[in-house]
Amino acid sequence: MKRVFMSLALVLVIVSLLFTGCGKSSETPGGTGTNAGPSSSPSTGSDSKGEVIKLTYFNTSAEVNEMFEKMFARYNEINPNVVIELIPTGIGEGQQEKLQSLFASGNGPTFMNVDPANVIEYQDRLVEFTKDNAPWLFEYANESAVEAGTFDGKVMGAPWSVQGYGLLYNKRIVNQVYGGQFDPTTINTRDALKAFFEKIEAAGIPATMLHGANWSLGGHYLTLTYAVQGPATSDGTGFIDKIKAGTQKIEDSPIFQGYMDTLDLLVKYNYNKADPLVADFNQDILAFAQGKVATFFMGDWSWTSMVGLENIDTEYGFIPVPWSNNPSDYGNTEVVMVLPKFQCIDKSQNNEAQVKAALDALGWMLTDPEGQQFFLDQGFCMPYKNVRTDIEYNSMTQSIADYASRGKTINLGCFSYITGDAWTQTGNLMLMYISGAIDRQQLAQGINDYWKSVK
Amino acid sequence: MVSKKKSLSNAGFFITFMGPSLIAFTCVLMIPFLYGVFLTFTNYNPIKGTKDFVGLENFLAIFTDKEFLTQFLKTLRYVFYSTIFCNILAFILAYILTSNIKARNFLRSGFFTPNLIGGIILGYIWKFIFANVVTKVGHTLEIESLKTSLLTHPDRAILAMIIVTVWQYAGYLMMIYIAGFVGINKEVLEAADIDGAKGFKKLFYVTIPSMVPSFIICFFITISRGFMAYDLNLALTNGAPYGSTRLASMHIYQKAFQANQYALGQAEAIVLFIVVAIVAVTQVLLTKRYEVEA
Repeated sequence: MKRVFMSLALVLVIVSLLFTGCGKSSETPGGTGTNAGPSSSPSTGSDSKGEVIKLTYFNTSAEVNEMFEKMFARYNEINPNVVIELIPTGIGEGQQEKLQSLFASGNGPTFMNVDPANVIEYQDRLVEFTKDNAPWLFEYANESAVEAGTFDGKVMGAPWSVQGYGLLYNKRIVNQVYGGQFDPTTINTRDALKAFFEKIEAAGIPATMLHGANWSLGGHYLTLTYAVQGPATSDGTGFIDKIKAGTQKIEDSPIFQGYMDTLDLLVKYNYNKADPLVADFNQDILAFAQGKVATFFMGDWSWTSMVGLENIDTEYGFIPVPWSNNPSDYGNTEVVMVLPKFQCIDKSQNNEAQVKAALDALGWMLTDPEGQQFFLDQGFCMPYKNVRTDIEYNSMTQSIADYASRGKTINLGCFSYITGDAWTQTGNLMLMYISGAIDRQQLAQGINDYWKSVK
Repeated sequence: MVSKKKSLSNAGFFITFMGPSLIAFTCVLMIPFLYGVFLTFTNYNPIKGTKDFVGLENFLAIFTDKEFLTQFLKTLRYVFYSTIFCNILAFILAYILTSNIKARNFLRSGFFTPNLIGGIILGYIWKFIFANVVTKVGHTLEIESLKTSLLTHPDRAILAMIIVTVWQYAGYLMMIYIAGFVGINKEVLEAADIDGAKGFKKLFYVTIPSMVPSFIICFFITISRGFMAYDLNLALTNGAPYGSTRLASMHIYQKAFQANQYALGQAEAIVLFIVVAIVAVTQVLLTKRYEVEA
């Protein structure tokens, strides 16, 4: 009997230990995002201590997770009743899935930094920015930037950075090979690019590098084919719609063939030629920063990954990726300039107090000089009128700004409308192409089939 | 009277000890599972918020999803090879480590440690090793096939996954086999020795038949874990190269969360569950026949 009593008591103790984990989380500002209940209740609420409002922030710009953490810590110092928890993600790793599972489980983040495609996908859940709830946006942001964040006539994304991509080149190496200041505007045809590569290779330096990831080749390179169809966003989306309907085959577009010919050139001189699919981002960045290769098909966000490294080159610029031998063709002398990410606020799984707090926090982040400084320190170019003008951007962003001032940019608006698993699937096809597993006809067939299968 | 009291107190014990686990099991496993089965008959999409009844449409769609079939066959291949090699290696290790060699306990813990490293970290470590260390070895020793990372070719990437799986689970299974070895009836072994059975004969006719329960457990573990493999898949290859090593679980995940076809993904998951259940149960029933009473 005594033994039975003892064992029952033990069971009770163990069971009660189970429930200690369900106690109120007091000092840690985090963890609330993962402990929420079913979809109807908001992800946090105020706890009994006072009016501390807890917000969650989902970030897809993985290279600056730390920046956001510091920013939120600072914001909490200024506003002790607002605590923002960062939900970080890794570069290229399951960001879409994470966001979807957050919403599916009822833990939708209060506000987030996402691709424009996500803004379109989730538009029913998002807060519309109006002059009433976000006056700072309309007062300080550049008009074109606000327009980029407008979908179906509603401003649902707040812009924060302008980025670009193209063929990055290492100024020190290239100037050395050319024996003087190299002029990037001389690269305006594929033949010019070919001569450029051959000159660099003759000097004993690997000419270029491709990062063998599906987002780089499918999301960035292949999208050039759609975007260069015409200067308006609808040119690109119209082209894709025709492929979806089956009235256009991608291989019939000379732009596609042109970009693939240029890709063959890049593959030929690819620094990663021996093993093109390793796709270790840190490794490729390091190799480029150390000057092991002259050019790299990547964007100016690379600088944020390089800035912490030691003993690296710091001067870079952009060359366009030409697709034909006619210098006046749209796309041969331009680089891509895009507002790649937007800040948006969710109203479907967060209550009014949280939405209001998020709007205020966003306003501080984007238009308050102290908030902006965090972004500027990382080298981001913010499209706001009140940004301090004495800032010296890193060489990559400067190069993009230079192309923009000359009006030589490719409008990548159609990229926002490429949703779902488009760039993973088409990117995988591109990877098969650069590693020689399929030929161009099969690549085109695969792309056509993919778009036709998308609803 | 007495039996009624006894059955009540029995029930009381049952509820006290099994209750919490049963509640947790029902909430975390049973209810979501049943809800999932219900969802396969709808066109559920949490982003768009739809949940209309569509009957068997999702199950029919599985047949048109060619990728599911190829990935499933790949998973079968992966499970087959990893089970065989894992168990052979674990058995050999257990055999060696139950004989009297020096540092036996140290070696036992040593071989078990890989299992303690979680699948994700393991995947990243091995990814680095395959991409950098193995390729360096290939370059210095001039071995052509090792000069490029094992992870960048579709067939060799599966091989890489098998290698890492074997490395991870051999120690765990070894522990089970050691317990099996130690639990063999000493009298039967002595009788075999007296009868003149030596070495391999003793192994095949006495040791292995006595170890059948261990085999049942180990095969069951490797098969079911193999089918469900996801964390290692994600960290080591993430479907690379170009989606060819997306094993069944990852393919389902991709279908549901990346292609936004939730109901189809759920239907495929149910199919996976049925197949794994059939395979596992068949395996247990078949091998149970070989159990001997010492």
